[in-house]
Amino acid sequence: MAMSSGVLGQYDTLHGTLDAITRLREAGHRDIEVFSPIPSPEIEEAMDIHSSPVRVWALTGAITGCTLGVLLTAGTSLAYPLVTQGKPLVSLPPFVVFMFELTVLLTGIFGLVALLVHTKRPVINLDPAYRTSFSVDRWGIFVPVNGEGHAAAEALVRETAAVDVEVQG
Amino acid sequence: MATAEAKVPATPTLAEANRDITRPISMPEKRFYLVLGVAAAGLALMFGAWFYQIGAGIGVAGITHPVFWGVYITTFVFWVGIAHSGTLISAILYLFRSGWRTTINRTAEAMTIFAVMTAGLFPLIHLGRVWYFYYLMPYPSQRQIWPDFRSPLVMDVFAVSTYLTISALFWYTGLIPDFAILRDRAKGWMYKIYGAFSLGWQGTVSEWRHYRRIYLYMAGIATPLVLSVHSVVSWDFALSIVPGWHSTIFAPYFVAGAIFSGVALVITIMIPLRWAFGLEAYITENHFENMAKLVLLTSLIVGFSYGTEFFLAYYSADPIEIESFRWRAMGAYALPFWVMVFCNVVVPQALWFKKVRTSLPALFALTIFVNIGMWYERFVIIVTSLAHEYEPGGWGLYTPSWVEMSILVGSFCWFFFWFLLFSRSLPVISIAEVKEHLAHEHAHGDGGDAGDGHE
Repeated sequence: MAMSSGVLGQYDTLHGTLDAITRLREAGHRDIEVFSPIPSPEIEEAMDIHSSPVRVWALTGAITGCTLGVLLTAGTSLAYPLVTQGKPLVSLPPFVVFMFELTVLLTGIFGLVALLVHTKRPVINLDPAYRTSFSVDRWGIFVPVNGEGHAAAEALVRETAAVDVEVQG
Repeated sequence: MATAEAKVPATPTLAEANRDITRPISMPEKRFYLVLGVAAAGLALMFGAWFYQIGAGIGVAGITHPVFWGVYITTFVFWVGIAHSGTLISAILYLFRSGWRTTINRTAEAMTIFAVMTAGLFPLIHLGRVWYFYYLMPYPSQRQIWPDFRSPLVMDVFAVSTYLTISALFWYTGLIPDFAILRDRAKGWMYKIYGAFSLGWQGTVSEWRHYRRIYLYMAGIATPLVLSVHSVVSWDFALSIVPGWHSTIFAPYFVAGAIFSGVALVITIMIPLRWAFGLEAYITENHFENMAKLVLLTSLIVGFSYGTEFFLAYYSADPIEIESFRWRAMGAYALPFWVMVFCNVVVPQALWFKKVRTSLPALFALTIFVNIGMWYERFVIIVTSLAHEYEPGGWGLYTPSWVEMSILVGSFCWFFFWFLLFSRSLPVISIAEVKEHLAHEHAHGDGGDAGDGHE
């Protein structure tokens, strides 16, 4: 989501970022965007995020892969009945290997696709609020503001542990 | 074993971690191009020998009746085994929350991918007429006949290609945040390249939220995959009735051997890499000691398996099986057999001593022995069994030709060629994971100032 109008606060500690998230959300700013140089479950907790739909994608990939494995092995054996190795046409023990491999393969592929879909990636232009310091050692919180209210939002961000505050738009 | 935490020194800040780990990427050196040139020369040797074989026919290789699987299949199994270290370290240790994997997983994953790429060449080379490879592909190639899905060779195609795909996806997923770091410090066309691979990553909470989950799921699916791949490779042998191959212990025996050789090669590579790139603050002696413990553990499993194979042959009371194993240890290939035992069972016993586990020169030398021994293990299993089957009239010896040996040497150059390019274009340590670790180190070290990125 590209955001152009609002207030951006930069923080040099995770602790300060978490504190700022809590205060901003308590003040009614629940649509803030947070940038972090590291994965942080603490930020997700502070923003009341508890799960990700990618697990549904992974499960869908697993089921699809296993089904494809059955169709490829048992299906093709039945479509062209030819006894080999003196084994039944549908020989489950060797076929399980293919079902397993395709289950794993499609789980992984669906998972990566899910990551792209839910993060809306790839994008060419970075968010105007993004700063390169967010990939180094700083956390960022962008508070979107529509119309009036920049001053109030800026004052609120300055009350937190922000080391740098910018007003955009 | 090997579960103790190896702490990254608390001194680097998050910014220092960015700087230190990305430094080799912008550090052109003559010695790098010299080593790359040697690898490229080896590559030329390999492809020259391969093209000669394609032109002249498979007869220029030493494989002939009764030994139709020789250096090519030996080297295929060797490289598939090497490939096990990366996903083991990345996925299994991630699931077990072993913090010491953080600074070595990226390199180990890269090794996995390049090792599978190397392994994948050998079935093609072994075919002789490489263009017939399409018979193994899962589609109705001739008269609407599909491949025989009861054949372990077709299982192998699926297992190895799935392993390559999942390892590459897992590796790339882990690299996305690091691509963003590289993008942010790059200029010009490098900015565009790293920017494209970063997919526009900005480290938003939404991105991290989905990323963490999918990384966990990938680790979850990659874990059984690691165990399955070399099991499937072992069934190429175990599902036949060749004496010395038809054994139920082959799957765990091969998996242990794969981890043994894979971790050994990680140590062999990480020691000079750490020195060349000045990464002593991130890859510590503790990391090497933990890996050495894994090598010792898997060496014991491999040694036990060697003994079990002989015991099973004796206990079966099958004269063919007994003769096969007697000949393995005392026949024409006794030297490779005892080299294997010495390198894989005797030499690693030195790792019981902490002084050896924490001495990098000793570890470097020891792990080279392990990898020589593990190549010989595959050679011994494959060649001695085929050379001395059921009928004395069908016995025969095998000597590799110069074409096979050139391709064997070239395979190492092929592997190192890709690895060298990787080491100069991507971070050899996962920056995002190290920074996550450092942030928590600082949080605890600074008395609760959670995740202070600055000193």
